[in-house]
Amino acid sequence: MKTRPRIEDVRVGDAIPTLSKVVRRGEVKAYADASGDQNPLHQDDAFAQSVGFPGIIAHGMFTMARVVKAVTDWAGDPAALVAIDVQFRAVVFMDETLEAGGEVTAVDPESRRVTLSVWAAVERDGKRVLAVKNSTADVRLD
Amino acid sequence: MPLNQALVGKEYPPLSMEVDRDSVERFADAIGEHGAVFHDAAAAQAAGFPEQLAPPTFPTRMQIAVSAAIAGDPDLGLDYTRVVHGEQAYEWLRPVCVGDLLTATPRIAEIRGRGPLEFLVVESEIRDAAGELVVRARTTLLSRGTTGGEA
Repeated sequence: MKTRPRIEDVRVGDAIPTLSKVVRRGEVKAYADASGDQNPLHQDDAFAQSVGFPGIIAHGMFTMARVVKAVTDWAGDPAALVAIDVQFRAVVFMDETLEAGGEVTAVDPESRRVTLSVWAAVERDGKRVLAVKNSTADVRLD
Repeated sequence: MPLNQALVGKEYPPLSMEVDRDSVERFADAIGEHGAVFHDAAAAQAAGFPEQLAPPTFPTRMQIAVSAAIAGDPDLGLDYTRVVHGEQAYEWLRPVCVGDLLTATPRIAEIRGRGPLEFLVVESEIRDAAGELVVRARTTLLSRGTTGGEA
């Protein structure tokens, strides 16, 4: 386990380290098998094109898992994560670089709770597109 | 065709899943989670957990099955091919570990409309074999209707 942030050192406005990963077709297939979500939108380009996408898209829950990992990596303890509420706002295509991160929005030393605003984004046609926004995570630091 | 508002509050049959080591490994690998506590029981125990940990979003495996069961309810009027996942919330009361036998009890918490879109909110309580609450899950599905909507 890595070092854990102490609540005394956490400030509103602190950014947690951004996690970055290129999303590959093989990973999306692996996620379909691991989660049981075999929707063809995530596996079949022709199907994805039939509903207006250029090709298959990543599972929203794959993106959420990356947001969760950004938070638990920062907290240094997977059990520190108390709650998360994520809104999916844009899809993620293959071979895009998916970033996930967050900023501290509240610190309560009494309950040792930290609230973060969390996000996920890709760069598309020179613009930053938020796949996850208006989302929050609650963490309890020991 | 609008979703059937009369189903708000409806509870669906409980759905159980055993958290086995192989499924946890595959899930952790799929999301790029290589932390030792997710792959090695001894590492998890050294960190103070009773067993190898499942990644926090592992209960998604249950949520997928729950959503499919509800989408298959002929009284609801949901066209699953026109559904997207709008929002997902989890609250953890303790981490999920290998060996847990989890049971989800889903219910339709809310159906609301906004223009051509409808929001279907499904809440599940996920309990362990002792009946203790482990995870609360809330899934919001967006239904784009069965006529005239955009793909």
